[in-house]
Amino acid sequence: MRRVAVTGIGVVSPLGVGAEAFFEALAAGRSGIRVLAIDAPRPLATRIGAAVDFNAGEHFPAPKARMLDRVSQFALVAAAEAIAQSQGALHGDQARMGVFVGTGMGGAQTTDESYRTLYESGSDRLKPFSVLLAMANAPCAWIALEHGIAGPSLSYSCACASSAVAIGEAFRSIARGDCDVAIAGGAEAPLTFGTIRAWEALRTLAAEDPHDPSASCKPFSKDRSGLVLGEGAAMFVLEDRDRAAARGATILAEVAGYGICTDATHITRPTAEAQSRAMRLAMEDARLSPAQVGYVNAHGTGTEANDGVETAALHAALADRAKDVPVSSTKSMHGHLLGAAGALEFAAALQALRKQVLPPTMHLAQPDPACDLDYVANAARRVPAFEAVLSNSFAFGGTDAVIAARAA
Amino acid sequence: MSTLERLRALLQRELEVSAESLRPGTTLESLGIDSLRMIEIVFTIEDEFKVAVRAEPAELRERLKTLGDLAAYIDELVRAAPAAS
Repeated sequence: MRRVAVTGIGVVSPLGVGAEAFFEALAAGRSGIRVLAIDAPRPLATRIGAAVDFNAGEHFPAPKARMLDRVSQFALVAAAEAIAQSQGALHGDQARMGVFVGTGMGGAQTTDESYRTLYESGSDRLKPFSVLLAMANAPCAWIALEHGIAGPSLSYSCACASSAVAIGEAFRSIARGDCDVAIAGGAEAPLTFGTIRAWEALRTLAAEDPHDPSASCKPFSKDRSGLVLGEGAAMFVLEDRDRAAARGATILAEVAGYGICTDATHITRPTAEAQSRAMRLAMEDARLSPAQVGYVNAHGTGTEANDGVETAALHAALADRAKDVPVSSTKSMHGHLLGAAGALEFAAALQALRKQVLPPTMHLAQPDPACDLDYVANAARRVPAFEAVLSNSFAFGGTDAVIAARAA
Repeated sequence: MSTLERLRALLQRELEVSAESLRPGTTLESLGIDSLRMIEIVFTIEDEFKVAVRAEPAELRERLKTLGDLAAYIDELVRAAPAAS
């Protein structure tokens, strides 16, 4: 099996556009969660979310922007940043390159707007490109098209694990020798009236903090009340390590392992058994022992169901090292990006590995006895150099995906 | 405003190009209007001129080579089905 290097990172997040801006905000404990300005026909119970401050006109000419749902715009901007950073990863045989993108909802905004035209306005005049904007593989297809990538272009939809799966499958494709280079990651833009209302109906969204809306997502805290929806994208250039080294590229880190399995017990309720199995599979794949893991970016949604189970899973996977390994949920700051969550959080984990700064779990005011690990509570932590990170993504539907990365 | 002037204003907006680049003899091809983009332009023309285009956009794209051709085609449509409102 070949080793797989990361040679580019691109981020579009509620904490800023650009991987550096994103991580600076995380390290400062800044929250991107705020009261949203959603175009809603009726008031929503939930006013908060983590929106990206994004002006499409700064990135695309208008005729191009009209062909792109917001989710594809995010994907293209993140991919462009990662590709630029790789300094030439796409020079070569483009049939040996692939695109692997996770998204839970695809072009949700186009779907929402189309329904409003049809059902609210009573008009049949849907925009001619509605299908092309809304299709779930549009973010992936546009990256391939824009950059002439002619090997596999694959979209993964497994809810909140979508982009972790995309990164894991891209990693395997390069490790096996099927591809030499991959653009891998995820994108999501779900902040529409219809989508937020659907999540409200499921009773999983956090209540707005009465004193500070930006502090509404409180993973691992006893007073947590749910998740906060977010939007954005993160993309990586993954590359055969020997190829990257031969062309003199800066290797930012190595994707070292991928663990993937399924709860197969309940459509929403997770199990510590399957989550810990995914972590162990990733560590075995990467030939890492718990002692070598210096940080875990948790799935950490801030829901009652997730945080206790994930804590139990971390205990099972890391055994007697569990209480020594710092774990944080950056969702406390960037919200839950659903299909893009795994990719954005992998970006956070890689930056932690590179900069030796662990991003915190913010708003953890009341320790929960069921959550007894080191959550890097409320302030970033500078640490000595360490060897490896894990990034956890656990989905509705039961998909559990864990990515392991090693310092370059 | 003549049909050609209205069409130029519409395309200036849609394609983000200068008025100078939109002459009666300008070809649709030189504006990057392929059969897919033609579908969008037909949609916008229907809104702007309150007409229904029954022809297939791909067929129109083949038949109408220039802005002048397109303006003349719109005039035909408007004559055949004057605006209802």
